[in-house]
Parts: sequence; C-alpha cells; structure tokens
Amino acid sequence: MPSATIRPETQYATLHQQGEAAQLGMWVFLATETLFFGALIFTYYLYRISYPEAIAHASEDTVLWCGSVNLALLLTSSLTMVLAINAAAQGRRGAAMALLLATIVLGFCFLGVKGYEYAADYSDKVVPAVNFTLKPGEPPASELFWIYYFVATGLHAIHVTTGLGLLLYVFWRLRQRRVTAAYYAPIEVVGLYWSFVDTVWIFLFPTIYLAGRL
Amino acid sequence: MAMIAAEAEPTYLDNENTIASWLLTKDHKRIALMFLASITAFFFVGGFAATLIRLHLATPNGLLQPSMYNRMFTMHGVIMVWFFLIPSIPTTLGNFLIPLMIGAHDLAFPRINLMSWYVFNLSGLVLLYALIMGGVDTGWTFYTPYSTSFSNGYVFAAALAVFVNGFSSIMTGLNFVVTIHRLRAPGMTWDRLPLFIWGIYSVSIVMLLATPVLAMDTLLLAVERFVGTGMFDPLRGGDPLLWQHMFWFYSHPAVYIMILPAMGLVSELIACYARRPIFGYSGMTIAMMAIAILSFFVWAHHMFVAGISIYSAILFSLTTFFVAVPSAIKVFNWTVSLHKGAIIFDAPMLYALGFVLLFTIGGVTGLMLATLGVDVPVHDTYFVIAHFHYIMVGATVSAFFGGVHFWWPKMTGRHYPEAWARFAAILAFAGFNLTFFPQYILGNLGMPRRYYTYPAEWQSWNLLSSAGASILAVAYALPLFYLGWSLFYGKRADPNPWRATGLEWLTPSPPPKDNFEHTPTVLIGPYSYDPESDRYTTQDGVSHA
Amino acid sequence: MNVEAKEAKSLPFIIAWLVLLILAGLSVFSAFQRLDVWAPIVEFGVAACQALIVFLLFMRLKGPPSLKWVFAGAGFFWLLFLYGLSMTDYATRRGWPTGG
Repeated sequence: MPSATIRPETQYATLHQQGEAAQLGMWVFLATETLFFGALIFTYYLYRISYPEAIAHASEDTVLWCGSVNLALLLTSSLTMVLAINAAAQGRRGAAMALLLATIVLGFCFLGVKGYEYAADYSDKVVPAVNFTLKPGEPPASELFWIYYFVATGLHAIHVTTGLGLLLYVFWRLRQRRVTAAYYAPIEVVGLYWSFVDTVWIFLFPTIYLAGRL
Repeated sequence: MAMIAAEAEPTYLDNENTIASWLLTKDHKRIALMFLASITAFFFVGGFAATLIRLHLATPNGLLQPSMYNRMFTMHGVIMVWFFLIPSIPTTLGNFLIPLMIGAHDLAFPRINLMSWYVFNLSGLVLLYALIMGGVDTGWTFYTPYSTSFSNGYVFAAALAVFVNGFSSIMTGLNFVVTIHRLRAPGMTWDRLPLFIWGIYSVSIVMLLATPVLAMDTLLLAVERFVGTGMFDPLRGGDPLLWQHMFWFYSHPAVYIMILPAMGLVSELIACYARRPIFGYSGMTIAMMAIAILSFFVWAHHMFVAGISIYSAILFSLTTFFVAVPSAIKVFNWTVSLHKGAIIFDAPMLYALGFVLLFTIGGVTGLMLATLGVDVPVHDTYFVIAHFHYIMVGATVSAFFGGVHFWWPKMTGRHYPEAWARFAAILAFAGFNLTFFPQYILGNLGMPRRYYTYPAEWQSWNLLSSAGASILAVAYALPLFYLGWSLFYGKRADPNPWRATGLEWLTPSPPPKDNFEHTPTVLIGPYSYDPESDRYTTQDGVSHA
Repeated sequence: MNVEAKEAKSLPFIIAWLVLLILAGLSVFSAFQRLDVWAPIVEFGVAACQALIVFLLFMRLKGPPSLKWVFAGAGFFWLLFLYGLSMTDYATRRGWPTGG
C-alpha cells in the first residue's frame, strides 16, 4: 500500500486541495514568466519596427534549420509530456516513466542542437562584445538583434535546463512511487512548466528566424 | 493522560529552539520574525546613509567628497526601496498575519516562503558586496547610458542584487495570492476578509505583474554593463529611454507596493481604536484593487522631461490624475470612520492618524507633480524628494511601526511600554515633518536633488531639515530599545489585549505552531465594534463586553 | 471536450501535435512569401494559435481549478499595457528612431 503514505501537509485538508493549490501556484508563476519574456520580446518588436532593414539583415544570418528542428523537438516533447501525465493519472506507471524519459531525451536533443547553433554563430562572427563584425552593407543597428538573440535564447536554454532538472526529479519520484494515480500533482505541475517553456520557444521562433528570408 | 492534555500547547517560539529549527523552519510566523530581523538591519544601514546625507547638507560645503555623496544617496535609495520598504509590511506582518487572519494553519507553500528569505538575504549580500567594494553612484534609478557606459562604480553587482531580490518578491507574492485564494477558513468569504488581507492581496498582484519587467530590464542592464552590448546605447541605435520605460513600469507600481499594505493595515488600526466599523468596507476594497491596477497606467509621469513624446506625456499626466480618485475615497473613508467613534489614543492609533495626515499631504503634492506644467519646473528638485518621502516614509513607515506595535503582543506574547511608544510615535511625527516639510520649500525655491552643494541662502531650510532628521533618527531608534526590553520584562499579553475582532485574536499570544487548535468558522465580517455599548463581536460570531 | 487526465485518451493530443507541426511548417513557409509589413503579423498570429493549442489542450487551461485561466491570461493582458502605453511614446516621439 505505498500510496497510503502520501499525506497532505498540515495547512491542507485534502491532497486534492494541495494539488489544486500547487497548480494555481504554477500558473501564477507562469504569468510572471510571461511578463519576463514578454518584456524582452517588446524590445525586439520595438527595434524591428524602428530598424526593419537592420533586423532583417541580421535575422537572415541565423541558422533556420536549427530553430525549426528545435521547434519540432519541443512541440513533440510537449506531446510526450502530456501523455506522461495522463498515464500517471491513470496509474500506468511504466508508460508514464517511458514517456517522461522520451521528454527528457527530446529536451537534451534541443540543448544539443542549440549548442551546435551557438558554435555556428560564433564562427559567423555575430556574437556582440565578443567577435561581432558588421557584414558589408549591413546597418549597425543589426547588433541590437544579436543582443536580443543571445539574451533570449540563453534565458530560454536556462529554462530548458531547469525543466530537465524538474523532469528528472519527477521521474525519480515516480520510480519511488511517490507520484501515483492518487496524487499526481507533481508531474502535472512540472508538465505545466515544461509546456510553457515550449510556448516561449513558439513565440521566440518567428522573432529570431523568420525575418529577412526573402 | 488527562494531565498532559490539559497542558497548553507549546507556542511557536518555544516549540523546539535550536538554531537549525529556526534556519530550516517552515512556520510562517518564524519566517516573519526572520524577515523582521533582516529588514530592520537594512533599515539601519539605509538610515546610516541618510544620516550622512543630512549631515553633509547641513552646510553648503558639506563633509563628504562629491563622489562619496553620490554613493551615499544611491546606497540610501537602493537599500530603502528594495531592502526595506518593498518587503517591509508584506514579508513581516503579512507573513505573520495572513494565515492567522484567514484561519489557515500556514501559507500555501511554506518551503517557498523560507526560500524567499534566503534569496532576500543572498541579494542583500550581493548588494553589500557592491557597497563595500566601492559603491554605486548612479542613484537608485540606474539611468542609462550613465550607468552602463560611464559610471565609476559596481553597477553590475548592484543590478544583480536587484535582480535576485525580485525573485524573493515574486515568491512571496505568489505564496500570498495562492494562500488567500485557497486556504480561507470556512465562512471567510471575500467580503468578510479583513482589509489588511485585501491590501496584501492587491500588493501581491502588483508584485507579480511588475517585478518580472524590472527583472528583464536589470538583466539587460547588467549584460550591457558587463560585456558592453548596446541595447540602451544611443550611439548604436539603442534607446536609453527604453530602460526608463521598463524601469518605471515596475518602479511606479512599486510605490503602490509600499503603500497598499499600509492602507490595509491602517484600516485595521483605525477600526479597532475608534471602536467602530470601518466606513465603506466595499468601497475600500474596490479602491485598493483600483489603485493596484491603475498603478500600471501612469509610469511615464517620471519621464516628462526625459525626452518622451509630448503627446504621450499628456496621456500619462491624465492617467495619473485617475489614481487620485481611489486614494481620496480611502482618505474620506478613514476620516468618516473616526466620526462618532470612541477613539483611544494608543501608540498604534497615533501612528495610524499620522499615516492618514502624511499620506494626504504626500498625495496632494503628488497631484501637483502629475500636472505637466508644474512638473517641468519642479522636476528633479527637492519638491519631488519631499513628496515621495511623505508617501514612503511618512505614510508607509508610520503604518509599519503602528502595525508592529499593534501585533507585538500577538507576535511575542508581551506588551510594549505604552508611554514610551506614544512618545516615540509623536516624536516621529514631529521629526518627520521638520525634516521633509522644509524640503517642499527648498524644491519650490529650485534646489535640485542629488547635488552635493547649494547656495548659502538656502542653508537655514537645509539646517532645519537636518535638525528634524536627527529627531527622526531618535524616534526610529527608540522602539529598538523599548521593544527589546519588553521581550524580557514586558507584561504578559492575553489572547486579545486590544479587544479586536480578527481571527488572529482567537488564538493564544503567541500562537501555537499550527496557529489554531481547530480551524475556526467565520460567521460575520470584520470590524463589528459598537462605540455606544463598547461591545465587539469577533469574526467567529461571539459577542464580547 | 473533457480533458481531465484521469479519463483522457491519447488521440486528441496526437492530432493536436500534428496540427502544431503543420502550423510550424506554415510559419516557415510564410517567411519565404512576399508579405512585407504583414510578415511579422502573420508569423505572430501563427505563434499565437500554436500557443493557444498548447495552453488549452496540453496545459488543460479549461479544467479545474477554475481560476487558473485568470492568472494565465493576466500575464498576457498586462503585456498589452506595457506594449500599448510605451508605443504612445515611440509612435509620436520626435527624433525616434535615431538612425543607428
């Protein structure tokens, strides 16, 4: 009877109440994350409206296939994540662990592609304050794009890494049977975070990769 | 067995008293006391800088080097804003009282609450590092491009400290919002919540929605300072005003982060010491939520002379006037609440009355500054300094001191010495006005802020201000002594020494670890005081003589 | 549509995933079309659709606890204030953009 050992904390009457509070807490946190990334994306659109040519010039130099593959990877990982939650809720523990593992692998693949892309960016001499060099005919304001690019993708990569840590933690708790069909709030809450990180990439993707492709 | 059951439950203070039991506690009451210790320490560090500033300005030639003067006012601003005023009421009284007032056994996320304290102190250490290494001379607003390209100071570390501090704010705000939504006792509906809880709720919303924008802004600043990118550099196409827009998107609401919990707190004090229900409860709650939301529409009134578009300035001037409406509603309601009350002039009430008066003065001068035509000549003068000190210090700090005295018996189980407390309250009010009223006059005469010297003919006003500051310093230091004394020698307190109506007074002083033996059931709204018969009814529906 | 995890089937999620991938393809395709000023709007619109699918289905925004859509929406709603009120300045400020 391992599930009988899970008890609500003192301030909660039931596990159900505890789970709902955890969910609400994560949504509140995600609202702050929305504003955090939203403020950054504001700087992008402001400069894109102000310097359309420079931003298009710079955007053209990003590695489109890396961004697109990464978008597909994260969208897929959101799918495996939600299927893992469903499996955990329905008591299919083995399936939940397998799907969670798939999510983790997809997350690491994302970071791998991102790392490759950073290396490509470095050799393309677009890293501000390190080796940024204007290409012939490129307006100087294009550097603003690259600041945005590195801050945005860097912060996003930090979020992916955090998410991977959380996924590994939930995986461990599933293994220990501390996440069960009776109390699966932890995997649900981590899933919210993971899908949100995916959503951030959904919004970053067009800002980074799509301008100036024509 | 019967004998053990008859024994009182240990209080939250007695229940285990090892260092680890404090440092790893999940009890919101202990975390509140730990926050109280941290912010008191920062209050005196920030106060030390203020002391040096006023000493320096007592004479036109001063005692500090100009560069040192710049570092002092920056240190004063950064510490007082982020390390004292913003966390002051929420993290201490809010932390302590939210579960007690809504009838819960703890906050929703006790571990996050503890983490908030550690993150707060971590950010404080980063800031102290910046100060010890040589300080920052940009002012607390870190305006670009000075802060990114020219400043000779530890801007990076200070910006990092502000960034990390934001996490603490967000964790605390998140915890409060979820707690107030999910952990109210049976019968504690939204229209029965004490106004202090409404104040904390509205402030948590502002913290959650404003802080992330500042976090992104300071992050971009720190990156620009550290590696020399050009996001805010006009030479490279960046816009220095973009820093100001995002900074004030947070920092104007931050003023309301300081004042909203104070408004809620003062409502508690006024109702209890006037012995009558607060006038217009629902108006008060709507006004607080309105202030919270309107606070986001007004930020560019800090930038009227910074080079923003004149059309935008007109718009922001207009929206700023809207904030006056709910603020005025609150002042009217507090005043009417006193009418025909049986007023008791104890120390917390003296602080509360001081709050109302000083908030009104600060608010009305704020309207003057919101007027575009008036703001242009007095912008960046001592008029502005006086205005926001009336709100942040006159109002918020008064409310904070009033609240600490009011709930001191609940927190410690001991009474504070009333005579000393009244003396300190009156001294603070006198010292405050003496310090800051002359600054309105100086501002009107044209004395700019942040200058380390001034023409000799302004010395008398400056001297008056410095003299007032020394009185204020005594008034703020006094409680440290008599409250400290009361911890050991104060009279033991009953569960409800002030005959107040909130749920927090139903449990012993100090409360046991889990707050309530049985979760209370709420039958009526707060503030059932009757000044005629001098009876009151606590929120569990029991009437007392 | 019932999206409770307890009874959820896999098929709706797999269909949603396929739609998300198609939308991603559409987004990339649009980048190579002559859309001029409409390009960022179309791309942002596609992203918003994708985000909506993720929020509603993968993150079960509609399910209990009832208030979470308010919190989820608040972040996006508040961004409108930042964007809109800042743009009152940038749209009418003389000397902006500086030329870089």
